[in-house]
Amino acid sequence: MAEMLTSRKLAVRVVICLAMLGVVMCLCAFVGTQEISLKRVFAGPGVKPGENIDYEIFVGVRLPRVILAALVGAALACSGVILQAILRNPLADPYILGISSGAGLGVITAVISGVTWSLWAGSPIAVFAFAGALGTVWLVWCIGHFTGKSQVTNLLLAGVVINAFFSAVIMFLTSIAKSEQVHSTIFWLMGNITEKSLTVLGISAVCILAGIFALFCISHRLNVLTFGEEEAKGLGVDTAKVRLVAFGFAAFITAIAVSISGLVGFVGLIIPHGVRLVFGPDHRQLLPVSGIIGGVFLVAADTLARTIVAPAQLPVGVITAIAGGPFFLVLLAKYSRKVSWLK
Amino acid sequence: MSGIIEVENLSFGYNLQEIFLKDVSFEVMQGTFLAIAGPNGAGKTTLLNLLCRLLTPKAGSIKIDAAPVESYTVKELARKIAVVRQEFVPVFDFTVAQVVSMARTPYLGTFGFETRADKNHINEALEMTDTARFSSRPLAELSGGERQRVFIARALAQNTPILLLDEPTSFLDLKHQVGIYDLLKTMQLEKSKTIVAVTHDINLAAQYADVTLLLGADGSHWYGRAEDVFSPEQIERVFGVGGFTGRIGREKFFIPLGKFAKDNRQIGRKLNNS
Repeated sequence: MAEMLTSRKLAVRVVICLAMLGVVMCLCAFVGTQEISLKRVFAGPGVKPGENIDYEIFVGVRLPRVILAALVGAALACSGVILQAILRNPLADPYILGISSGAGLGVITAVISGVTWSLWAGSPIAVFAFAGALGTVWLVWCIGHFTGKSQVTNLLLAGVVINAFFSAVIMFLTSIAKSEQVHSTIFWLMGNITEKSLTVLGISAVCILAGIFALFCISHRLNVLTFGEEEAKGLGVDTAKVRLVAFGFAAFITAIAVSISGLVGFVGLIIPHGVRLVFGPDHRQLLPVSGIIGGVFLVAADTLARTIVAPAQLPVGVITAIAGGPFFLVLLAKYSRKVSWLK
Repeated sequence: MSGIIEVENLSFGYNLQEIFLKDVSFEVMQGTFLAIAGPNGAGKTTLLNLLCRLLTPKAGSIKIDAAPVESYTVKELARKIAVVRQEFVPVFDFTVAQVVSMARTPYLGTFGFETRADKNHINEALEMTDTARFSSRPLAELSGGERQRVFIARALAQNTPILLLDEPTSFLDLKHQVGIYDLLKTMQLEKSKTIVAVTHDINLAAQYADVTLLLGADGSHWYGRAEDVFSPEQIERVFGVGGFTGRIGREKFFIPLGKFAKDNRQIGRKLNNS
């Protein structure tokens, strides 16, 4: 009898993956330019501030950054899973529908106009990126929705057109901006994780985890949706509703991830693929496992990014692209060969 | 007793085209096998899509189980009607068991996990369609005939009183065509399912179906027992092709004969006219 996914099997696998994430996060939190000892960290904060530097670095700097990387990785991987499902396109990634260029436009607007106010402890760059990302997605959705019935193709086309147009605007603004403004924008466009305040971390964590949970609740309908509109309706799925919910939450968690980390590429494309190759395409499992593995991957990538050229730091997007490409090729070669041996 | 599917004065046409389904009325009793035949463009698939509410009629009404089709939610309708379309390879590598499991979607709770009862339905469908032996293989690795059986297994696991099929045997060889029709007939007889199949193969339709709906490209239609509807004159008029009609025992068959058929004495009349 073929193996069938049960809630119990899924729970066991998710717990194993979470344990792996926990281990990787702890290990990565100990790695850095400043050596810290495990013993001193466990000794606690001490009586007065500044007494135990190791503890303060660990809790105040390393841990938030590692958690942030895990959150961004999870959000991007889950969003990738969702977009690949609703667009029925294995090449889709979280940025395919214009989120990247929309957020980028927001950021460069913020940098050039030099706004300084902030919202809920978010920096102006984060706030503008978030607004730009969601605004663009909304625009793409509206264009796709009103131009015809075959929504999937229209959405993709609208995304491509908006991406191209906004990229042109970004180029224009970059070319008229001052050089120090351009530097911070380019770092952001490459995807850059930095230390953030606890408030930002808290809000992002709640939003991203809630978004992933909502997506998990519709994941079994996404399985059916990958068979196409007619098939899904025949199996009792309200396709318009499910697509809207999936698209909305995927855009929301991507916008949050983008606003705190810039455009980290590759995670949303290769993690869902890798997990699908190993665990199969059932979205009830693919979504949570991709989220966790995405977190593991980005935590590791970010640790490399901040240590490899220490004391300087690389944008994490550079690492994900350099490491992700070959890693994915190896995975692909391994599993396609395994299939051909069986035949 | 009224039929499980009641269609009254149904008309449909896409916006700019003229109406091609005109005033179609018929009633299908529970547990019967209806074949819908007709030339390309007569609206066979359209009629099927109207029955499962993918399209909305321009006029007339459709009742499923005595209630108007539009009164059902998508989920409720999926518990009444299962649809099998032409087989295809899905985008992602789902296995046979996973595809058949999806049939239970309209019955699942919030998190979408199958209960023991769901699993029984799935296993029964896999056994009945003889797909259990390759249930852990991905669909892409199967032959067209095997894949079509998987989609039929899925429809069976959906546990609906009505089964709609859109040309289920189009690309299959003779053995698999007969295999699929045998399977459908078994489901009709053992599970008393109502089966509505769109088909190009009027010979298989005449063999297996209890009632037949013949749609003409001009909006005309005939409904009745297969042996009455498929008369040689009717076929020639509707399909625009002459041929040889014969009978072996109780089975009636029709062989189309074109201009260059080796034995064209059977259609001499046609050749002289043209």
